[in-house]
Amino acid sequence: MEWAWLIPVFSFAAAPLIVVLGRVLPGSGSFLAILAIAAGFALFWWVFAGFLGAGAGTENCLVSAHTGTLTCHYQMAWFHAGLAGAAGSVALTWGIIVDPLTVAMLGLVTFVALMVQIYSLGYMRGDSRFGWYYAVHALFAAAMLTLVLADNFLLLYVAWELVGICSYLLIGFWHERPAAKEAAKKAFIVTRIGDVGMLIGILLIWREVGSFSMFDAFEAVSSGAMTEGVTTVAALLLFLGAMGKSAQFPFHVWLPDAMEGPTPVSALIHAATMVVAGVFLVARVYPIFSAYDGDALLVVAVIGLITALMASTIALVSVDLKRILAYSTISHLGLMMLSLGAFGYTAAIFHLLAHGFAKALLFLGAGSVMHGTDELDIRKMGGLRKVMPMTAFLFSLGALSLGGIPILSGFWSKDEILLAVNDHLNPAFIILALLTAFLSAMYMARAMFVTFFGNLRQEMEHAHESPASMIGPMALLGVLAAVFGFVGFNWPGSYQGIGSFLFFHEAEGFHFNWWLGILSMILAVGAFVLGYLIYIKDRVSLEGFRARIGGLIPVVENKYYFDEAYQWVVDRVVLVFANFIGLFDRIVINDLAVNGPANSVHRLGIAMRLHVTGHVYSYAMGMVLGTIALSIFWWFRSVS
Amino acid sequence: MVDLVYFQLLSAALFVIGMYGVLARRSAVLIVMSIELMLNAVNINLIAAASHLGYRSVGEAFTNFDGQIIAIFVITVAAAELGLALAIILRIYRNRGSVNVDEVDLMKW
Amino acid sequence: MENFDQIALALIIFIPLAGAIAAMFMPADRQKDVWYFAIVVAGLCFALSLYIFLRYDYGAGGFQFQDSYKWLPAPVDINLSLAVDGISALLILLNGIILLGGVLISQNIVYRPRDFFVLLLALGAGVFGTFAVRDLFFLFFFYELAVLPMYLLIGVWGSSTDFRTFFRAKEYAATKLFLFLVAGSVLVWIGILAVYMGAAESGFPTFSMETLGRLAEAGQLSEEFQTWVFPLFMVGFGVLAGMWPFHTWSPDGHVSAPTAVSMLHAGVLMKLGAYGIIRVGMVIVPEGAENWMPVLITLGTVNVLYGAVSAMSQTDLKYIIGYSSVSHMGYVLMGIATLDRIGVGGAVLQMFSHGIMTALMFLLVGAIYDRTHTRDISVLKGLFSRMGVTGFFFAIAGLASMGLPGLSGFIAEFMVFTGAFRTYLPLAVLAVIGAALTAVYILRLLALTFLGESDARWEHLTDASPVEKAVGGAFVLIMIFVGVWPEPLLRLINVSVDALPGV
Repeated sequence: MEWAWLIPVFSFAAAPLIVVLGRVLPGSGSFLAILAIAAGFALFWWVFAGFLGAGAGTENCLVSAHTGTLTCHYQMAWFHAGLAGAAGSVALTWGIIVDPLTVAMLGLVTFVALMVQIYSLGYMRGDSRFGWYYAVHALFAAAMLTLVLADNFLLLYVAWELVGICSYLLIGFWHERPAAKEAAKKAFIVTRIGDVGMLIGILLIWREVGSFSMFDAFEAVSSGAMTEGVTTVAALLLFLGAMGKSAQFPFHVWLPDAMEGPTPVSALIHAATMVVAGVFLVARVYPIFSAYDGDALLVVAVIGLITALMASTIALVSVDLKRILAYSTISHLGLMMLSLGAFGYTAAIFHLLAHGFAKALLFLGAGSVMHGTDELDIRKMGGLRKVMPMTAFLFSLGALSLGGIPILSGFWSKDEILLAVNDHLNPAFIILALLTAFLSAMYMARAMFVTFFGNLRQEMEHAHESPASMIGPMALLGVLAAVFGFVGFNWPGSYQGIGSFLFFHEAEGFHFNWWLGILSMILAVGAFVLGYLIYIKDRVSLEGFRARIGGLIPVVENKYYFDEAYQWVVDRVVLVFANFIGLFDRIVINDLAVNGPANSVHRLGIAMRLHVTGHVYSYAMGMVLGTIALSIFWWFRSVS
Repeated sequence: MVDLVYFQLLSAALFVIGMYGVLARRSAVLIVMSIELMLNAVNINLIAAASHLGYRSVGEAFTNFDGQIIAIFVITVAAAELGLALAIILRIYRNRGSVNVDEVDLMKW
Repeated sequence: MENFDQIALALIIFIPLAGAIAAMFMPADRQKDVWYFAIVVAGLCFALSLYIFLRYDYGAGGFQFQDSYKWLPAPVDINLSLAVDGISALLILLNGIILLGGVLISQNIVYRPRDFFVLLLALGAGVFGTFAVRDLFFLFFFYELAVLPMYLLIGVWGSSTDFRTFFRAKEYAATKLFLFLVAGSVLVWIGILAVYMGAAESGFPTFSMETLGRLAEAGQLSEEFQTWVFPLFMVGFGVLAGMWPFHTWSPDGHVSAPTAVSMLHAGVLMKLGAYGIIRVGMVIVPEGAENWMPVLITLGTVNVLYGAVSAMSQTDLKYIIGYSSVSHMGYVLMGIATLDRIGVGGAVLQMFSHGIMTALMFLLVGAIYDRTHTRDISVLKGLFSRMGVTGFFFAIAGLASMGLPGLSGFIAEFMVFTGAFRTYLPLAVLAVIGAALTAVYILRLLALTFLGESDARWEHLTDASPVEKAVGGAFVLIMIFVGVWPEPLLRLINVSVDALPGV
């Protein structure tokens, strides 16, 4: 277990090797990245086994008083800010935590990254920057793994920014396309705004605690050294970072645009791993959020709910397959946040994992469709199951799972979330959450039916099934999307379900509320049936409904005009202000304040030179008058 | 012994005459002569003061030669200066055919 | 070895100076020979600076490599006394690196190459001297020696640019730069004389910084005296550090300067100012410094935000980087003004990090300009496909500039923020926001210049030359090294910052 730090190191080493040696290695060195992440995945199992075997007595391990879970902690010196040992200086460490949350995330990240990298072998074949793609992938995997392992805020922030830059590089991978270039920039800057909040939050905690260690921060919160006000402010600032990364309202605008990147990238970064970093962050510092009765958590819940609802409505009207999935991701991230806000820590992480597998599968499915048809507009698709049977089957599996069809994994995790919301929050929340659940099943049904079912169009007959290197990883993800939910149960024997593995504070077994379960099941199944009737059978017409809500449709189709509003702010406020400062610098500071005195000296010189006549006796007269004046001056002085 | 003030009056008169010459004359040669007049006025002043101050009291030996030394310096410098000035005036005359300082007004911006 | 340590500092000043004088006698038309000669001299300097950096005993701390030469004896008391602490050693290393880099990439100087290298080496000697001396008189002397060649280097080898709405002649830039820096040094000189007179009143007329530091520590200089002397140093040195509102010489200077001069200008010359504030301001008039720090940190914060916002509206590559330098020097000023051991340490690290980073940027802009003859980002497009390595290096420098973790800028900015957060919270928050603005203009620059479809106009471009690649690659490696493992640098910084009064 003490070798857990090696998991990211493999990939860190692979990235520069591919950049440098890519040109001479076969396959541009892609195998290096895959080997590195495969080694990480293997090591994950070893760490997992070690962790299950460890107890409170194991070296470096203890049951944390703040989270209630077994936490193993390893660190080594990194650098000293300020003279070592002097008052007010701080030693920074490379440190890792191995606790249930980390182990769960390690599993998700290494597995999905491995699947996606294998898939990319087929998907990205023949791209001119194949090696670069794998180098950034390896760097991303390394950074993401560091993020989940980090034991202090600084290292967390380091990894946090690194995954952001990898996301930037991969969204802009085909930077020759203007849309991709703009999307990459937008993604980085929008998340960066959140990161500023996060950095301020981290430094605020540092100011209060005098350390960057998360454990010290938890200690300060629980001992009351950090007062309620500061704790809440710090938690909300950290949440800003989480909002940016996890594309929460109002920072959600970057994620749909990020779909300009290669589809495997969307599957890995913008569905399964990086975007859940925000959820992970809130979960990681949950003691700070839940302190003082969780004032900050209410904000988390509200933001999560708004995001989930808003995104699911947009997903319902979007026509681009990948964007539907992107809005679906935003919506599900909102649900996770809602769950965290409702003290549903376990449920949120459970859903994070289940959603990660299923959504990665869906994106890979969308990539497979794109690979086969070069098309993403679902209006031009239909009946693709006839030409791409495996893709259709696996995509449907993922859609049903995320839609919440019973016994598939999404059903169980979503149910846990609803349960947490029902138990801890105002009834209004559960009603809206159920509405979101219904909508999410509905848009999944739409995406699935419109794309794969119905009649095959003429122009789609040339479409072909994807190669095994792409279908294989999808199939493995499909298995997990189907059965992962069963890890939630109390199995006979020592395993008490994911609830008691991940638990926060108290171990909780699997629980199930019958009326809620049945209600959500009815909603999900109902949504799929309704979708079938609307999109395939044309039995139910939407025209009446559309007519009734009339004016709202364009608002939703235009994504609530967020992009336009932000663009307006950038164009009319930020750039205008920047130009104003630029001109201010040139005209006021430079021309007026700097050149001004210079010019006035010049003009003074022109005026002054007039007294220089060139006549000897005028100079002599000046001398004489001066001497007389001085004499009089001295005379008066000697007199007085 | 003649009172010091008469020497000073003489010196002042000579100096003012010289000054008038410098300011009012157009001819460079006359200006140089006026300058000489002013220098000599100063010399008279110096020597008079020195011979007056040279005795601690009446009847004692003459001990202080500072004024006379400076006067000799002035004469020397004046001679050198005169030589230089006349050389310049000659050059100006060669170039311009005149020594009228009104016409020599290049020494300005 | 002991003996060599004694003369190491004298050598590092003497070698470039002697090199400059020797180069004067070389034939004027043999451009390559002068270049090779300058490389040898700069290489020696680099080796020496590296030696000093590595030999500095951070366990012991304090001033090492002490050496002193008598000049004017007791009543005036001016000696060429040399010594370095960790801060100086680091900055000497920085100068060694950048001087060598600057000389290496100057292979294309064809107009009077001999004179160019003579001035460049003299400039290097001046900077080495400023960092190494322990005597106010010689500090000033070397400081001026570093500033003077700048005027000629920009005025003769620079380039004038027409920006459509206004015109920047190289002569204008050179004159402005020179007048600003001389005005600053006049203030510094007044301050130095005031300190000398102040010390004379206490019975110790001396220019020795060591004695003066001890006098200040012993309370021999009254607080009132210190309070009116410090602003002289703050503004005087601040001008050179690009302190707002005395920064305009810097972007204009960059725009007109040839590549190597831009590198030295932003890389080390601006650091002289910040170094002066630390070495003279903080040590000799510590109480005055303490009273003025709120002003300095406010100006520093203005620098950060103002520079970043100005950079957003620029269209010339060098203006963008020039204003970003203004913004980054703001972090240095802020860090110094925190008077916090982490903050000041961060400021020193930021000097090093910014020096390398901005030198790399100017190197790459120079490489682009040599090939395209424009620096207008609205004209340059999609250079990445033609100049892959240049673009890659530029991206890394840009990322370092926006404080991306894993690169040197992050550690430095982080330390400055850390220090500022516990001393001046509201300003620190503003500065963190300023750091985010950096991302906006850097990404805008990268997107416009390097990314996107390549323009037919730039089809013929070639990538950076091997020399440029090697120098750029070395700079990139340094940035990554410092970003990942800053401890070797911080060890020196920490021990020396700890010894500063008031921290």
